[in-house]
Amino acid sequence: MTISVAPGPDTQEGIRTGTAESTDSLTAPDIPWNLVIWNDPVNLMSYVSYVFQSYFGYSESKANKLMMEVHKKGRSIVASGSKEQVERHAVAMHGFGLWATVEKASGGHSGNSGKSGGPGQGKGKRG
Amino acid sequence: MAKAFKYGLKGITGYLEPAERDLLRSLIDDVISMLQPEERTGQDPLAALIGLDMDVAEPTDRAVRRLLPNVVKDDGAASLEFRQLTERSLRETKIGALRAAALDLDKDEIVLTPEGARHWSMALNDVRLVLAERLDIRDEADAEHVHRMQDWSQAEDVESYLALVYNFTTWLQESLVQAMLQSLESRR
Repeated sequence: MTISVAPGPDTQEGIRTGTAESTDSLTAPDIPWNLVIWNDPVNLMSYVSYVFQSYFGYSESKANKLMMEVHKKGRSIVASGSKEQVERHAVAMHGFGLWATVEKASGGHSGNSGKSGGPGQGKGKRG
Repeated sequence: MAKAFKYGLKGITGYLEPAERDLLRSLIDDVISMLQPEERTGQDPLAALIGLDMDVAEPTDRAVRRLLPNVVKDDGAASLEFRQLTERSLRETKIGALRAAALDLDKDEIVLTPEGARHWSMALNDVRLVLAERLDIRDEADAEHVHRMQDWSQAEDVESYLALVYNFTTWLQESLVQAMLQSLESRR
Protein backbone atom coordinates (compact mmCIF):
# COMPACT_ATOMS: atom_id res chain seq x y z
CA MET A 1 0.00 0.00 0.00
CA THR A 2 1.01 3.57 -0.37
CA ILE A 3 0.75 6.91 1.44
CA SER A 4 -0.22 7.29 5.07
CA VAL A 5 -3.60 7.71 6.67
CA ALA A 6 -4.75 10.77 8.59
CA PRO A 7 -5.10 10.37 12.36
CA GLY A 8 -8.46 10.89 14.02
CA PRO A 9 -10.51 10.01 17.09
CA ASP A 10 -11.36 6.44 17.81
CA THR A 11 -15.02 5.51 17.83
CA GLN A 12 -16.80 2.20 17.97
CA GLU A 13 -19.90 2.74 15.96
CA GLY A 14 -19.93 1.89 12.28
CA ILE A 15 -21.97 3.51 9.56
CA ARG A 16 -22.97 0.44 7.70
CA THR A 17 -22.27 -3.16 8.41
CA GLY A 18 -21.75 -5.76 5.76
CA THR A 19 -21.74 -8.63 8.20
CA ALA A 20 -25.44 -9.35 8.48
CA GLU A 21 -26.03 -13.00 9.23
CA SER A 22 -27.45 -15.22 6.56
CA THR A 23 -30.37 -17.37 7.59
CA ASP A 24 -29.85 -19.79 4.75
CA SER A 25 -30.20 -23.19 6.36
CA LEU A 26 -28.47 -24.97 3.49
CA THR A 27 -25.07 -23.56 4.35
CA ALA A 28 -22.70 -25.11 6.84
CA PRO A 29 -22.14 -22.30 9.32
CA ASP A 30 -19.96 -24.41 11.60
CA ILE A 31 -17.08 -24.53 9.15
CA PRO A 32 -15.15 -21.32 9.69
CA TRP A 33 -13.69 -19.50 6.72
CA ASN A 34 -11.44 -16.48 6.63
CA LEU A 35 -11.42 -13.44 4.39
CA VAL A 36 -7.82 -12.49 3.65
CA ILE A 37 -6.72 -9.10 2.29
CA TRP A 38 -3.32 -9.03 0.56
CA ASN A 39 -0.89 -6.17 0.32
CA ASP A 40 -0.33 -4.46 -3.00
CA PRO A 41 1.71 -1.37 -3.89
CA VAL A 42 -1.22 0.54 -5.40
CA ASN A 43 -4.09 0.74 -2.93
CA LEU A 44 -3.89 3.75 -0.64
CA MET A 45 -3.59 3.05 3.08
CA SER A 46 -6.32 5.61 3.72
CA TYR A 47 -8.61 3.90 1.20
CA VAL A 48 -8.06 0.44 2.67
CA SER A 49 -8.88 1.81 6.13
CA TYR A 50 -11.95 3.58 4.73
CA VAL A 51 -13.19 0.33 3.17
CA PHE A 52 -12.70 -1.58 6.44
CA GLN A 53 -14.57 1.15 8.38
CA SER A 54 -17.43 1.74 5.97
CA TYR A 55 -18.05 -1.82 4.77
CA PHE A 56 -17.42 -3.85 7.93
CA GLY A 57 -18.38 -1.07 10.35
CA TYR A 58 -15.03 -1.41 12.13
CA SER A 59 -13.79 1.37 14.40
CA GLU A 60 -11.04 3.57 13.01
CA SER A 61 -8.46 1.98 15.30
CA LYS A 62 -9.44 -1.57 14.35
CA ALA A 63 -9.51 -0.67 10.65
CA ASN A 64 -6.09 0.98 10.87
CA LYS A 65 -4.64 -1.95 12.80
CA LEU A 66 -5.82 -4.42 10.14
CA MET A 67 -4.63 -2.10 7.37
CA MET A 68 -1.16 -1.87 8.94
CA GLU A 69 -1.08 -5.66 9.29
CA VAL A 70 -1.79 -6.00 5.56
CA HIS A 71 0.90 -3.43 4.82
CA LYS A 72 3.61 -4.87 7.07
CA LYS A 73 2.92 -8.60 7.02
CA GLY A 74 1.65 -8.80 3.46
CA ARG A 75 -1.76 -10.12 4.43
CA SER A 76 -4.37 -9.99 7.16
CA ILE A 77 -7.49 -11.91 8.08
CA VAL A 78 -10.09 -9.16 8.26
CA ALA A 79 -13.26 -11.21 8.73
CA SER A 80 -14.37 -14.77 9.45
CA GLY A 81 -17.60 -16.65 9.08
CA SER A 82 -19.35 -19.21 6.94
CA LYS A 83 -18.05 -19.83 3.43
CA GLU A 84 -20.99 -17.90 2.03
CA GLN A 85 -20.38 -14.91 4.24
CA VAL A 86 -16.70 -14.58 3.46
CA GLU A 87 -17.34 -15.13 -0.25
CA ARG A 88 -19.87 -12.32 -0.19
CA HIS A 89 -17.30 -10.10 1.53
CA ALA A 90 -14.68 -11.11 -1.06
CA VAL A 91 -16.91 -9.96 -3.93
CA ALA A 92 -17.51 -6.66 -2.12
CA MET A 93 -13.76 -6.24 -1.57
CA HIS A 94 -13.09 -6.95 -5.26
CA GLY A 95 -15.70 -4.31 -6.03
CA PHE A 96 -13.62 -1.84 -4.01
CA GLY A 97 -10.48 -3.02 -5.81
CA LEU A 98 -8.89 -4.70 -2.80
CA TRP A 99 -7.09 -7.98 -3.36
CA ALA A 100 -9.15 -10.44 -1.32
CA THR A 101 -9.17 -14.23 -1.11
CA VAL A 102 -11.07 -16.73 1.01
CA GLU A 103 -9.54 -19.69 2.83
CA LYS A 104 -10.51 -22.30 5.37
CA ALA A 105 -9.78 -21.15 8.90
CA SER A 106 -7.65 -24.22 9.53
CA GLY A 107 -4.97 -22.67 7.36
CA GLY A 108 -5.35 -24.67 4.17
CA HIS A 109 -7.07 -23.20 1.19
CA SER A 110 -10.47 -24.31 0.05
CA GLY A 111 -10.31 -26.57 -2.96
CA ASN A 112 -13.59 -28.22 -3.73
CA SER A 113 -14.13 -30.25 -0.60
CA GLY A 114 -17.86 -30.47 -1.29
CA LYS A 115 -18.34 -30.36 2.46
CA SER A 116 -20.15 -27.09 2.45
CA GLY A 117 -21.49 -27.63 -1.04
CA GLY A 118 -25.02 -28.44 -2.01
CA PRO A 119 -27.69 -26.51 -3.79
CA GLY A 120 -27.58 -23.49 -1.53
CA GLN A 121 -23.90 -22.85 -1.92
CA GLY A 122 -24.09 -20.21 -4.58
CA LYS A 123 -26.80 -18.17 -2.94
CA GLY A 124 -26.14 -14.70 -1.72
CA LYS A 125 -22.85 -14.28 -3.53
CA ARG A 126 -24.22 -11.61 -5.75
CA GLY A 127 -25.25 -8.24 -4.47
CA MET B 1 -5.29 23.16 -11.52
CA ALA B 2 -7.59 20.74 -9.80
CA LYS B 3 -8.56 21.47 -6.21
CA ALA B 4 -8.37 18.75 -3.58
CA PHE B 5 -11.68 17.24 -2.52
CA LYS B 6 -13.06 18.76 0.67
CA TYR B 7 -15.72 17.77 3.13
CA GLY B 8 -18.04 20.62 4.10
CA LEU B 9 -21.63 21.72 4.46
CA LYS B 10 -22.53 20.77 0.90
CA GLY B 11 -20.99 17.35 1.27
CA ILE B 12 -17.82 16.38 -0.55
CA THR B 13 -16.80 18.89 -3.19
CA GLY B 14 -14.00 19.09 -5.70
CA TYR B 15 -12.99 21.06 -8.74
CA LEU B 16 -11.29 19.89 -11.94
CA GLU B 17 -10.07 21.80 -14.98
CA PRO B 18 -11.68 20.86 -18.32
CA ALA B 19 -8.45 19.14 -19.47
CA GLU B 20 -8.32 17.12 -16.27
CA ARG B 21 -11.94 16.10 -16.72
CA ASP B 22 -11.26 15.01 -20.29
CA LEU B 23 -8.29 12.98 -19.09
CA LEU B 24 -10.30 11.27 -16.36
CA ARG B 25 -13.17 10.61 -18.74
CA SER B 26 -10.90 8.85 -21.20
CA LEU B 27 -9.23 6.82 -18.45
CA ILE B 28 -12.65 5.80 -17.13
CA ASP B 29 -13.81 4.87 -20.64
CA ASP B 30 -10.72 2.70 -21.09
CA VAL B 31 -11.41 0.79 -17.89
CA ILE B 32 -15.09 0.40 -18.78
CA SER B 33 -14.16 -1.08 -22.15
CA MET B 34 -11.81 -3.53 -20.42
CA LEU B 35 -14.60 -4.60 -18.07
CA GLN B 36 -17.41 -4.89 -20.58
CA PRO B 37 -18.24 -8.58 -20.83
CA GLU B 38 -17.99 -9.89 -24.34
CA GLU B 39 -21.27 -10.90 -25.90
CA ARG B 40 -21.24 -14.55 -26.81
CA THR B 41 -23.66 -16.26 -29.09
CA GLY B 42 -25.47 -19.33 -27.91
CA GLN B 43 -25.35 -18.27 -24.30
CA ASP B 44 -28.11 -19.51 -22.02
CA PRO B 45 -30.35 -16.42 -21.75
CA LEU B 46 -31.73 -17.41 -18.36
CA ALA B 47 -28.24 -17.93 -16.95
CA ALA B 48 -27.19 -14.54 -18.32
CA LEU B 49 -30.27 -12.93 -16.80
CA ILE B 50 -29.39 -14.05 -13.29
CA GLY B 51 -25.74 -13.21 -13.74
CA LEU B 52 -24.34 -16.69 -14.29
CA ASP B 53 -21.60 -17.13 -16.83
CA MET B 54 -20.60 -20.73 -17.33
CA ASP B 55 -18.16 -19.88 -20.15
CA VAL B 56 -16.12 -17.44 -18.10
CA ALA B 57 -12.34 -17.86 -17.95
CA GLU B 58 -9.59 -16.30 -15.88
CA PRO B 59 -8.70 -13.03 -17.67
CA THR B 60 -5.49 -13.15 -19.72
CA ASP B 61 -4.79 -9.41 -19.45
CA ARG B 62 -2.87 -8.67 -16.24
CA ALA B 63 -4.79 -5.48 -15.55
CA VAL B 64 -8.17 -7.16 -15.98
CA ARG B 65 -6.96 -9.98 -13.74
CA ARG B 66 -6.09 -7.41 -11.09
CA LEU B 67 -9.58 -5.90 -11.37
CA LEU B 68 -11.20 -9.35 -11.22
CA PRO B 69 -8.82 -11.44 -9.10
CA ASN B 70 -9.03 -15.12 -8.22
CA VAL B 71 -10.91 -15.63 -4.97
CA VAL B 72 -8.96 -18.71 -3.84
CA LYS B 73 -5.19 -18.46 -3.84
CA ASP B 74 -3.43 -21.18 -5.84
CA ASP B 75 -6.72 -22.86 -6.72
CA GLY B 76 -7.75 -22.09 -10.28
CA ALA B 77 -10.66 -24.55 -10.29
CA ALA B 78 -12.35 -23.17 -7.17
CA SER B 79 -11.70 -19.62 -8.38
CA LEU B 80 -13.20 -20.39 -11.77
CA GLU B 81 -16.31 -21.85 -10.18
CA PHE B 82 -16.67 -18.65 -8.18
CA ARG B 83 -16.18 -16.54 -11.32
CA GLN B 84 -19.07 -18.34 -13.01
CA LEU B 85 -21.35 -17.16 -10.22
CA THR B 86 -20.01 -13.69 -9.50
CA GLU B 87 -17.81 -12.23 -12.20
CA ARG B 88 -20.59 -10.83 -14.36
CA SER B 89 -22.15 -8.89 -11.51
CA LEU B 90 -18.74 -7.74 -10.28
CA ARG B 91 -18.03 -6.34 -13.75
CA GLU B 92 -21.42 -4.59 -13.65
CA THR B 93 -20.76 -3.13 -10.18
CA LYS B 94 -17.46 -1.72 -11.33
CA ILE B 95 -18.86 -0.36 -14.59
CA GLY B 96 -21.72 1.23 -12.62
CA ALA B 97 -19.30 3.09 -10.34
CA LEU B 98 -17.15 4.16 -13.29
CA ARG B 99 -20.18 5.44 -15.24
CA ALA B 100 -21.47 7.33 -12.19
CA ALA B 101 -18.11 9.07 -11.80
CA ALA B 102 -17.98 9.88 -15.53
CA LEU B 103 -21.42 11.54 -15.30
CA ASP B 104 -20.19 13.82 -12.50
CA LEU B 105 -17.40 15.01 -14.82
CA ASP B 106 -19.88 17.03 -16.86
CA LYS B 107 -19.73 19.90 -14.37
CA ASP B 108 -16.78 22.08 -13.26
CA GLU B 109 -17.59 21.74 -9.60
CA ILE B 110 -18.09 18.22 -8.36
CA VAL B 111 -20.51 17.82 -5.45
CA LEU B 112 -20.76 14.28 -4.12
CA THR B 113 -23.22 12.49 -1.86
CA PRO B 114 -21.73 9.71 0.32
CA GLU B 115 -22.87 7.21 -2.33
CA GLY B 116 -21.41 9.31 -5.14
CA ALA B 117 -18.12 9.63 -3.25
CA ARG B 118 -18.00 5.85 -2.82
CA HIS B 119 -18.48 5.40 -6.57
CA TRP B 120 -15.74 7.94 -7.25
CA SER B 121 -13.30 6.26 -4.89
CA MET B 122 -13.96 2.86 -6.48
CA ALA B 123 -13.64 4.31 -9.99
CA LEU B 124 -10.38 6.11 -9.23
CA ASN B 125 -9.03 2.99 -7.57
CA ASP B 126 -9.78 0.85 -10.62
CA VAL B 127 -8.23 3.46 -12.91
CA ARG B 128 -5.09 3.43 -10.72
CA LEU B 129 -4.94 -0.37 -10.67
CA VAL B 130 -4.97 -0.42 -14.48
CA LEU B 131 -2.38 2.36 -14.79
CA ALA B 132 -0.19 0.58 -12.24
CA GLU B 133 -0.24 -2.60 -14.34
CA ARG B 134 0.68 -0.62 -17.45
CA LEU B 135 3.53 1.01 -15.48
CA ASP B 136 4.62 -2.38 -14.18
CA ILE B 137 4.33 -1.37 -10.51
CA ARG B 138 5.00 -4.66 -8.75
CA ASP B 139 6.25 -3.59 -5.34
CA GLU B 140 6.65 -0.58 -3.06
CA ALA B 141 10.01 0.32 -4.66
CA ASP B 142 8.40 0.53 -8.11
CA ALA B 143 5.60 2.65 -6.63
CA GLU B 144 8.17 4.95 -5.02
CA HIS B 145 10.05 5.27 -8.32
CA VAL B 146 6.86 6.28 -10.14
CA HIS B 147 5.87 8.60 -7.31
CA ARG B 148 9.08 10.62 -7.72
CA MET B 149 7.94 11.63 -11.19
CA GLN B 150 6.15 14.93 -10.50
CA ASP B 151 7.23 17.41 -13.15
CA TRP B 152 5.14 17.59 -16.32
CA SER B 153 8.09 19.14 -18.18
CA GLN B 154 9.86 15.78 -17.70
CA ALA B 155 7.15 13.93 -19.61
CA GLU B 156 9.05 12.87 -22.71
CA ASP B 157 7.75 9.39 -23.39
CA VAL B 158 4.63 7.34 -22.84
CA GLU B 159 5.92 5.87 -19.61
CA SER B 160 6.74 9.18 -17.94
CA TYR B 161 3.41 10.60 -19.12
CA LEU B 162 1.61 7.58 -17.66
CA ALA B 163 3.53 8.01 -14.40
CA LEU B 164 2.37 11.62 -14.12
CA VAL B 165 -1.19 10.60 -14.87
CA TYR B 166 -0.92 7.88 -12.22
CA ASN B 167 0.39 10.39 -9.67
CA PHE B 168 -2.42 12.80 -10.48
CA THR B 169 -5.08 10.12 -9.94
CA THR B 170 -3.31 9.03 -6.74
CA TRP B 171 -3.37 12.59 -5.41
CA LEU B 172 -7.01 12.98 -6.39
CA GLN B 173 -8.05 9.69 -4.75
CA GLU B 174 -6.09 10.47 -1.58
CA SER B 175 -7.80 13.85 -1.22
CA LEU B 176 -11.19 12.24 -1.86
CA VAL B 177 -10.64 9.46 0.69
CA GLN B 178 -9.49 11.97 3.32
CA ALA B 179 -12.74 13.89 2.76
CA MET B 180 -14.71 10.61 2.96
CA LEU B 181 -13.01 9.68 6.25
CA GLN B 182 -13.93 13.10 7.65
CA SER B 183 -17.50 12.57 6.50
CA LEU B 184 -17.59 9.11 8.15
CA GLU B 185 -16.27 10.61 11.36
CA SER B 186 -18.84 13.38 11.44
CA ARG B 187 -21.66 10.87 11.09
CA ARG B 188 -20.50 8.78 14.06
